[in-house]
Amino acid sequence: MIQLDLPFLLQCGKFLLAFVPLCLIPINIFMERKGASLIQDRFGPNRANIPLLGGIRLFGFVQNLPDGIKLFTKESFIPKGAHKAWYLVAPMIPLTIALLTPSVIPWFAPMAVEGTRGLVQMSGQILDADAGVLVLFALSGLSVYGVVLGAWASNSKYALLGGMRASAQMISYEVSMGLSAAGIFVLAGSFSLTRIVEWQGSNPLHWGIVLQPVGFVLFLTAMFAETGRPPFDMAEGESEIVAGYLMEYSAMRFGLYYMGEYAHIAIASALVSTLFLGGYHMPFLGTEALRSNLGQVAAGVLAVFGILSGLVAWAVRRWQRIYATRGGSDIAARKREHGILFGIFAVLAAVLFAAAVAAATSAHPAQVQIDGVWAWPLRVNLGAALLQLGVLVAKTLCICWVFIWVRWTLPRFRYDQVMFLGWKVLLNIALLNLLATAVVAKLAKG
Amino acid sequence: MAMTVPRPEMTLAEKAYLPEIVKGLKLTLGHLARGLFHPETLPVLNYPEIQPEVPRDYRAQHRLMKRPDGEPRCVACFMCSTACPANCIHIQAMESADDRIEKKPAKFEIDLLVCVFCGLCVEACPVDAIRMDTRKVALAADSREKFKVGLKDLLDWNPSDYPTTDTQSQKAPGGTLNEQARKEWGLA
Repeated sequence: MIQLDLPFLLQCGKFLLAFVPLCLIPINIFMERKGASLIQDRFGPNRANIPLLGGIRLFGFVQNLPDGIKLFTKESFIPKGAHKAWYLVAPMIPLTIALLTPSVIPWFAPMAVEGTRGLVQMSGQILDADAGVLVLFALSGLSVYGVVLGAWASNSKYALLGGMRASAQMISYEVSMGLSAAGIFVLAGSFSLTRIVEWQGSNPLHWGIVLQPVGFVLFLTAMFAETGRPPFDMAEGESEIVAGYLMEYSAMRFGLYYMGEYAHIAIASALVSTLFLGGYHMPFLGTEALRSNLGQVAAGVLAVFGILSGLVAWAVRRWQRIYATRGGSDIAARKREHGILFGIFAVLAAVLFAAAVAAATSAHPAQVQIDGVWAWPLRVNLGAALLQLGVLVAKTLCICWVFIWVRWTLPRFRYDQVMFLGWKVLLNIALLNLLATAVVAKLAKG
Repeated sequence: MAMTVPRPEMTLAEKAYLPEIVKGLKLTLGHLARGLFHPETLPVLNYPEIQPEVPRDYRAQHRLMKRPDGEPRCVACFMCSTACPANCIHIQAMESADDRIEKKPAKFEIDLLVCVFCGLCVEACPVDAIRMDTRKVALAADSREKFKVGLKDLLDWNPSDYPTTDTQSQKAPGGTLNEQARKEWGLA
């Protein structure tokens, strides 16, 4: 019989982590639209506002709402001659896969908590499989099924061409992706993502990106191709195959594909952070050090966020002045909105600083002995887990930004160039890298 | 004669591609920083709250000029509608009550949706009756009919919106600086 004790509830609670990539989707879309516009010297979306909240625009973040409403309320069209069942099922696949993959990412360090029957070890993954990363590769490779199936079921030549391209590209880059990550597996001696992160430790000089720089670049490139992002967006192509596999899709089915793509970016970024950027480790602060100095670390993190909110408040003031000099008929509304934003961020900064002081001065609980093992009380474990989750999400967002940044910098490749790069360049470099890593690892271990 | 265009030889760093990517990333990051920290330098207007400044000589919506007595200067000679490459000017002439003038327009209609704003009608007019200096460029209406502007709309403009120093056109036939016109209209 299942016992409803604390570790079991925690295990259940861990399933919420599956929604981390889902929460990152609106942030990714915001970053994409705003990043693209600023890189192209324009303002980007900033019109959508919430009238009930004083016309607040939140720098364009509110744009996600009308986009969602639009996608939900548009006509969902099924083209003539489409295979109805597959046409309806296909858009769900990429997003389903993207919601399954976070189960093997370690979001925080393994913890030991006290249950009713003694000490319970709990890892930071939902599914602590030894073959963790293989599960992830397998699932992530499956997402192309959604693309190909949707393309085929649409009964459109352009869509089918796009789907074929996507699958060919996926096959080409899956090989280099696995081989470029293999260097890390050789060094860490494990496929388990928790073990890989533990092996990297908290010292940035021992992270995958330093030990395997070539592997990092190759893996990131393969991830661009895997997610179908420009410069590898062969599955789409305005001048060649119109919108590619998405061509016959409209409304929320189209939206599902897009959500799947952004969730895929989030999960790919989380994987890159886990394999190459020390995962959930804070730089120079191991899990044990974090748990024994939780108050001070939390205070530091809160203070950093307080400073950031203060900076945002200052920036809002600055924008308000710029708007005032430019004039325009909406100046009063903008002034009100900037006032509200400034107030929110100023109050937020104050609250964060107060919380930082409270965290720094709060008493730190001592370790307790359970079954002859020294363990931390639950709240220390949970606090540390929350901080580590935040660190991993921050790293993930940085890599997401790299995805967006590269997209708006590089021109897209021609199809033959993609194949050339995948089979003749990346694959060879990945093989050489793996060979060199294996030789060095063998020599070093003796 | 066939000519060989030499392709620039790529250096090793360019062939390796990665250094070039880093260069490109630096460039786009610079633009991002500009937008984030100096949004006032972006070449962007917050339209429609801030309207662009349209130059006076920009070819915009037409207006019809008036004689000193307030009647349209147009003599219904059909030169503009003949010059019009889009065939968007439709004129109906009638006899003028003024015996100094032979004809005047009974109907003068411009279909702004058909107009290509080339300015040839302005060039063609022998009496400087039609101009395109209203600076109205963002035209909007909710039906096609409303885009057909007639005599009433074309004559509906405020003299205070236009500069009085426009000597060049005032020297045209019918203008206040034209010797013959001054004599004709008794302006001394």
